[in-house]
Order: sequence, then C-alpha cells, then structure tokens
Amino acid sequence: MATEKNYGNPELENKLRDRYFYTTDSNPEFLADVKKISRTIAHMCYQCGTCTGSCPSAPRSSYRIRLFMRRGVLGLEQEALNDPDLWLCTTCYSCTDRCPRDIAPTDVIMAMRNLAFKYDIVPRNFLKTVQLIYTTGHGVPNNDVNRAAREKLGLTADPPTTHSYPEFMPGIQKIMDHYKMKENADRILAEEGQ
Amino acid sequence: MAEAKEEPRIGVFICHCGTNIAGSLSIEEVMEYAKTLPGVIVADEYQYMCSTPGQKKIVEAIAEHNLNGIVVAACSPRLHEPTFRTATQEGGLNKFRFEMANIRDQNSWVHMHDWEGATAKAKDQVRIAVAKARMLEDLIPKSVPVEHSALVLGGGVGGMQAALDLAGAGIKTYLIEKSPSIGGRMSQLDKTFPTLDCSQCILTPKMVDVGRHPNIELYTYAEVENVEGYIGNFTVTIRKKARGVLSPDEAEARGIIGGGCNGCGDCAEVCPVIKPNPFEFGMAPRKAIYIYHPQVMPLQFTVDFDSCVKCGLCVEACGEEKKAIDLDMVDTFEEVKVGTCILAIGYDLIPIEEKTEWGYKRYDNVITGLEFERLICASGPTGGKLIRPSDGQIPKKVGFVLCAGSRDNTGGVAKPYCSRFCCMYSLKHAHQIMEKIPGAVPYIFYMDIRSFGKMYEEFYYRIQNEGAKFIRGRVANILEDPSTKNLTVFTEDTLLGRPLSLEMDMVVLAAAIQPKPEAERIRQMFGVSKSQDGWLLEAHPKLNPCGTTTAGIYLAGVCQGPKDIPDTVAQAEGAASAASIPIHTGEVQLEPYFAICMDDLCAGCGMCVPQCPYGALALVEKNGRQVMEVTEAKCKGCGTCGGFCPGGAIKMQHFTSPQICAQIDAFLLEGGEQ
Ligand SMILES: Cc1cc2nc3c(=O)[nH]c(=O)nc-3n(C[C@H](O)[C@H](O)[C@H](O)COP(=O)(O)OP(=O)(O)OC[C@H]3O[C@@H](n4cnc5c(N)ncnc54)[C@H](O)[C@@H]3O)c2cc1C
Ligand code: SF4
Ligand code: SF4
Ligand code: SF4
Ligand code: SF4
Repeated sequence: MATEKNYGNPELENKLRDRYFYTTDSNPEFLADVKKISRTIAHMCYQCGTCTGSCPSAPRSSYRIRLFMRRGVLGLEQEALNDPDLWLCTTCYSCTDRCPRDIAPTDVIMAMRNLAFKYDIVPRNFLKTVQLIYTTGHGVPNNDVNRAAREKLGLTADPPTTHSYPEFMPGIQKIMDHYKMKENADRILAEEGQ
Repeated sequence: MAEAKEEPRIGVFICHCGTNIAGSLSIEEVMEYAKTLPGVIVADEYQYMCSTPGQKKIVEAIAEHNLNGIVVAACSPRLHEPTFRTATQEGGLNKFRFEMANIRDQNSWVHMHDWEGATAKAKDQVRIAVAKARMLEDLIPKSVPVEHSALVLGGGVGGMQAALDLAGAGIKTYLIEKSPSIGGRMSQLDKTFPTLDCSQCILTPKMVDVGRHPNIELYTYAEVENVEGYIGNFTVTIRKKARGVLSPDEAEARGIIGGGCNGCGDCAEVCPVIKPNPFEFGMAPRKAIYIYHPQVMPLQFTVDFDSCVKCGLCVEACGEEKKAIDLDMVDTFEEVKVGTCILAIGYDLIPIEEKTEWGYKRYDNVITGLEFERLICASGPTGGKLIRPSDGQIPKKVGFVLCAGSRDNTGGVAKPYCSRFCCMYSLKHAHQIMEKIPGAVPYIFYMDIRSFGKMYEEFYYRIQNEGAKFIRGRVANILEDPSTKNLTVFTEDTLLGRPLSLEMDMVVLAAAIQPKPEAERIRQMFGVSKSQDGWLLEAHPKLNPCGTTTAGIYLAGVCQGPKDIPDTVAQAEGAASAASIPIHTGEVQLEPYFAICMDDLCAGCGMCVPQCPYGALALVEKNGRQVMEVTEAKCKGCGTCGGFCPGGAIKMQHFTSPQICAQIDAFLLEGGEQ
C-alpha cells in the first residue's frame, strides 16, 4: 500500500480528480457472461456484505467479494478483470453458504476468472499451476518432505492419484489440451518473460 | 327464467384499459371479429370500460338493441365483474346475463411483445365468452338473514380493537383467546415506538374495556373447535379449556354465592410445582397454578394441568368461601351463532436458533428482541435491569442484528419478506440501553433502516443523535469467547468497504416473524386462503385488504402479514367495519351458483353424497322415491357433484354442462355451431 501520495504523478492526479462511474465503462454483456458461466443469479445481489463478512481472505487482503458482485451488476468488466484481487478468493464457499439472496458469490468469482483468462489476465502462479497440473496431475506435486511424512504416518509415499497412476496423465492432458490451457499458459508466460 | 329458445342478442365491449390492453393487441381487429360471431348484435370498444361512460355504453346498448347477453373483454372478474353486472342490471337485464373475457391479466400482460399472437388469443377469448353468453339464464340470488352477532378469534391488540368496535356498533361479539389472558404480544412489550409510551399503560385500559363491555362475551383459555355455515349464519363450536379455576360468574352458576377467583394469589403461594414462565420466555419461574403477569385480563388464575400434581394444597388455601378451584374440571363445549367472523391470531418469531451462524441458544448472551423487551421491562424477570444472561453483568456494548432471517431467500427457517417492525423496535432498544445504562453503546447492524411510518424517520434521527452506532452490513456470523462469554460479531462495513469484527457484551437478534403454527388449521376451518409465505390471504391487497375470499370472514393484524401496532389497530378497525356491514344490513345475497338436482334424471344412487366436500348433499324421499337434495346455503358451487353424477342429473347453475361444452366447442371448432 502506498505510504505517500505522489502528487507529482500526472496520471494519478488525473485519476484522483475523476472518480465518476461512467455508464460507458459498463458492458452489459459482462453480467450476462458471468451469469451464464456461474449459473447463479449474480444480478440479485443487494450488497448486504455478508459475503465479505464471511470471507477469510477479506481481513487479510484488499479483496472484497461484495465489490466484485457490484462490478458484475454494473458491468464494470475491465475494472473487475484487471483487479489482481480477483485471484485472492480461496474458494472456501463460506460466502455461498451464507448469502441471504441464495447467490453463489464464489461461482461469480470463478466465472470472472474464466473470463479474465480469455483476456490473458492471469497471475503467474496460476499459470505455473496449469503447467504443473499438465505435467504431474497436481497443482502442488508431492515432494520428498511430504513423502517422508506420509511414510511416517503409515501411508504410501505417493497418494493414490496420478502420482501412483501415471497412466491417467494422458487423459488429463487431453482435457487440458481441449481448452488450450497449457498452450495459453505457456504462451502468456513466454510473452511475459520478454 | 329465460323463455325457451330465446334468440341470443349479445353485445360485446372491448376495453383498452388505457394502454394495458390496447398497447399489446389490436382492439379494432378484435371488435370487428366479434361482430362476425353468431348471436352478436353489436360490438363496441372504449378506453376504460369500468368508467361511468364505459358502463353507460352497456346500459344504452341494451335499450337500443334489445340485448339479452353482455360480454366485456377487459381485466379480471375478480376486479370488475361486480361493476359490469351492475351495469347489466341497470340496463334492465338480469345481472347474470353477463360474461367476462380476461384479455388483460391472461393476455396482454403475458404476451406483451406479441401483437399478432395476443390479438389472435383475444379473438379466441371473446369467441368463447360469446358462446357462453348465448346460453346464459336469469338467476335469482338467494337472500339469507344475518345473525346480529360476530366472532373475533385472537385477543391481541388487533382482536381487542376489532371486538371493541363491533361491540360499540351494537353487535354482540364473542372474543375467543387461546391463552389465559387477552393482550397478545403487545402485553409482552416494554415501551412502544415511536412515542415510547409504556405498552401496558396504553394496553391495560383497553383490556379492561374489553372485559367489561356489555356487548363482548370474552372467552379466554378457549379455542374454536369447529365452524359450520356461511356468511350470516356461522355456527361456531368453542372449546373452553379446563382452567381448574372458576370465575365469580361460574362459581355463582354452581351455587357458590360470593365465590370464585378474585386473583388474591393465595393458591400460587402454596403450590409446590415450579415451572418456567413462557410469558417471560422461561426467564422467570411460575407455579402450576398461575397468572402470566400482573395485568392479566381477566384476573383469574389458571391451573396448568400438564404440570399440576393434584396435591390439593391450593384448594385448601383458596378456602371454603371462594371455593374457586376445581382440580377435576374438564374441557367443555359451547355453540354460538354469528353472522361474521374476524381472525386476528397474530404471529410467532421464527426458530432463529436454526440459523446456527448467529449462535442463539448456543451462546448465553445472544437473545431475541422479545427477550430484550422482557429484560428491559420494569415488570419483567429482572425488574427492568438489563443484564447478561451468562453472568448478570450490565452490558456496555450491545449489538443489534437486523434482518435476522428476514429478507433472506435461503429457505428453511429464513423468510424472504421484511418483518416490518424490527428496524423500529431495534431503534427503540438502542434508545433504551442508552437511557438506562450510562456509557452503554448500541451497535446497529443493518442493511436498510425502514422507518416508513408517521414520525418514524424522526425517531431514527433522534436515536442516531443520541449516539447509537450504525453499521451498514449484514452480520455474517457470531463467535463466543468461551471464557468471557463475550461475542464477536463479523460483518462488513459496506460503506467503508472493510470487514469488521467487533466484540460485544450482548447481541440482540431482530428475528423474523412467521405465522403461528395453528394458522394452518384455523384457515382451513374458516376456508381462508394463504399467501405464499403462509400469512392469511386478504381478498385483494389494495381494494379489499380486510376481507377474504370467503364471504363473512375478515382479517385483522399480523396474521394477515407483518405490521406494527398502529397498522394492526387500523386494519382491525377496517375489519370491524367490514364485518358489521352485513350484520347491519340484516341480510346478504348468496351467489346463486349452487347445484340443483333434476329429480326426474336422478336415479337416487347416492354416489354424489360422499363426494361433496361441504356436506351439502343428502338423499331424501320425494314422490315415493329416493332423490338427492342440495342444501343450497351449504353448497359452494365447486362442481364436484355435477362433474361426477353418472346420470347427469346435477345442474351447476351458471356453469351448466351445455354452457361449458359450448365454450369448448367455440374454442376447438372456431365458432362452428354445435
Ligand atoms: C420485540 C418486538 C417489539 C415490538 N415493539 C413494537 C413497538 O414498539 N411498537 C409497535 O407498534 N409494534 C411493536 N411490535 C409489533 C407488535 O407486537 C405487533 O404489531 C402486535 O402485537 C400485533 O398484534 P396482533 O393482535 O395482530 O397479534 P398478537 O399480539 O400476536 O395477538 C394474537 C393473539 O391471538 C391469540 N391466538 C393465536 N392463535 C389463536 C387461536 N388459534 N385461538 C385463539 N386465540 C389465538 C394469541 O394468543 C394472541 O393473544 C413489536 C414486536 C416485537 C417482536
Ligand atoms: S452475501 Fe450475497 S447479497 Fe450479500 S453482498 Fe454478498 S453476494 Fe450480495
Ligand atoms: S469463497 Fe472466496 S470470496 Fe467466498 S468467502 Fe471464501 S474466500 Fe471469500
Ligand atoms: S424491519 Fe428492518 S430489520 Fe426487520 S426485516 Fe425489515 S428491514 Fe430488516
Ligand atoms: S357443487 Fe360442490 S359444494 Fe355444491 S353440492 Fe356439489 S359438491 Fe357439494
């Protein structure tokens, strides 16, 4: 967080001067897309704040799920998809459990992430996760420390997942190829590297 | 009756309803089409058929064209059938020579964007209506006398007001209250918003008025067992629950002169059984022989036979003179005849403990608004000292959770509607702690403050000015510190856009309200519908908010939907007025829609008799053979018997088989003659 406001910066000054909401910034298709992907009544949010109040991420970050709900309703596509907070949801579903309007805010966030991916707006770590799943079947692959711990608990060194059944890897890769996930992740990371 | 084979001469009138109808279909086309239908002599249209000039068109057309049937294509019969029937009658026809086609609610409103489709459908609807109109007959409504008495069920502030108004209008009124005292929820309240008058102070005089009004027969500790009959002539069976204690009147009837309960309380003093007092939500004890609270009306003790051990100590304490206690008392039944009934059975809080995230019944210091009322009330279990249930300490930070289960679509225990008085009573509670506890700070967690009534917004202003903290955000959950029993409330301050967790000494839940569980049985007994949420349903939300679709049954107070005391009393006065009209008129007309048995076709098989849900049918002996007979006043015209009779011997007036067949033919055969 900024500790000092740099009033010398013309771009920032411009932004500070103008904080209006312009309807021209609003893309009604955005809400429609979000609803289509999330299959939840995202437009029914009445901004009660229960979601943020429930969210384990909110007190530790600048992430406000309610704010994303609002951006969805108002069609503020660019503002929502470009906000790095979009990636701070832990998908714990606490907000979905409690939302009095029976909306699934978690799924709204997931939908927005899907849409962001279409614009190549994805943080590096998520892209790395894609690569890891592609090669190992795991977002967090097993490592030696874990293996030792598992054995100490009387478990097999590797869990009964693709780690034990590598023959399922081609299937997973096929699914990911269908959605061009790995291809896109590789591309974005490569472009970023330049 | 109509002469046999009278030539049909029908007039059709199409209403624009402003642009309600005319904006979605072609009035002109429908009118031109109507002119081509068999039997139609004239077709016309008008902006608002229900207006005076619209109705005049009908009257004039009848005279000019010698019509004998009228069709209006407009809104719903529920709204304007009476209007157009009157116009038909003014034109000199029998008022049942009228048929309505609902081309608004059932057409233009649903097919708003389909001009061609809606126009075609309107033609169908008009054709079908004309087909029936061609076969309409004169019907004569039955006039029945009305009993000069009324019943009010429920003795809360709504029921009491209704009873006082009816009685004041000279009508004998039976007021039936299930609990041992009248007063309802209002007697549990401490002060009332926005004037902050003491609830009991304004209620007690009314209770006394009810108790001594010569036209009110008060039955407390009583329930309605059964209702029979119809407007003007209801027979109500009242169950007088065994109270175990005689009133002075009841004692006198038993020959105990100068006896009966005088409310001295000697009995309760000696009673060895101690139970939680439900009036105080279990926060105070009561004996097995008890009164709820000091202001009960009537001041008469009651034995709780579920917990009484029949030791007889109370009988002894009461003494030989009063002889008020009878531990062998049993329920008795009484029948009363009334012309009209008002239901005023009130409400309950939802079982808020089922919203587990707020911890009610798990955490000692989470209470409901009604419990707060008792805790802050001078006549309550703590003598008006607000203390924490966990340790008796005075709370300094009190959280008020608004919309606790209201405006919540998640189903189960939660309710989608606004409970309408929690905002205001929470403001009141906030004021009360600031008034009584120096340094106390109320935190009001709200989504919206709905202070919509007269002087309500000003009350909100005052409480804010007094220092209450308002946090806009719905409470997500509450956690208890097991050692201090303090509560942490989690929410978002949505105006700041920041999550909050605030530690409170005590939390008060403004729990949503819901219909009483027995409302279901009551409404079935009285033949009243319910809304989606289970509240008793008014006949029309705008034009008939006190009546129901069952003639002679009216609604008052929260049983019809959430409302505060001013609204409850206002509606009760409306219900009393509506319920007294038929009584003062002295007679009512019943729609002549009852079934008729055509004796010569009836085989006397009796198979229809058990089909009738209203018990209106019986086999009788006529001219030496068994035939069915309809008790007209009991028949609701549902048609079950008419549709069922294997011999076609039952005629449903105004919905005869030939009329219905003609409508079906008109639809399927596009107007081809049957
Ligand atoms: C915490 C709290 C605070 C409130 N504070 C205020 C306030 O400050 N100001 C205000 O205007 N409003 C207030 N209200 C609202 C107020 O309680 C209601 O508006 C009012 O009590 C409604 O009266 P009623 O007669 O419709 O129902 P009730 O008071 O519920 O009365 C119904 C009566 O019918 C009886 N009954 C039920 N079923 C049967 C049956 N089958 N047979 C016979 N009798 C039956 C019941 O025993 C009861 O006596 C408050 C409500 C709550 C919950
Ligand atoms: S909990 Fe639901 S209704 Fe409330 S702000 Fe969040 S998404 Fe909107
Ligand atoms: S699902 Fe995401 S947004 Fe919802 S409470 Fe959990 S972390 Fe927060
Ligand atoms: S009265 Fe206020 S607190 Fe109660 S449900 Fe309505 S808005 Fe919510
Ligand atoms: S029409 Fe219905 S209420 Fe009337 S007699 Fe037949 S079955 Fe009974």
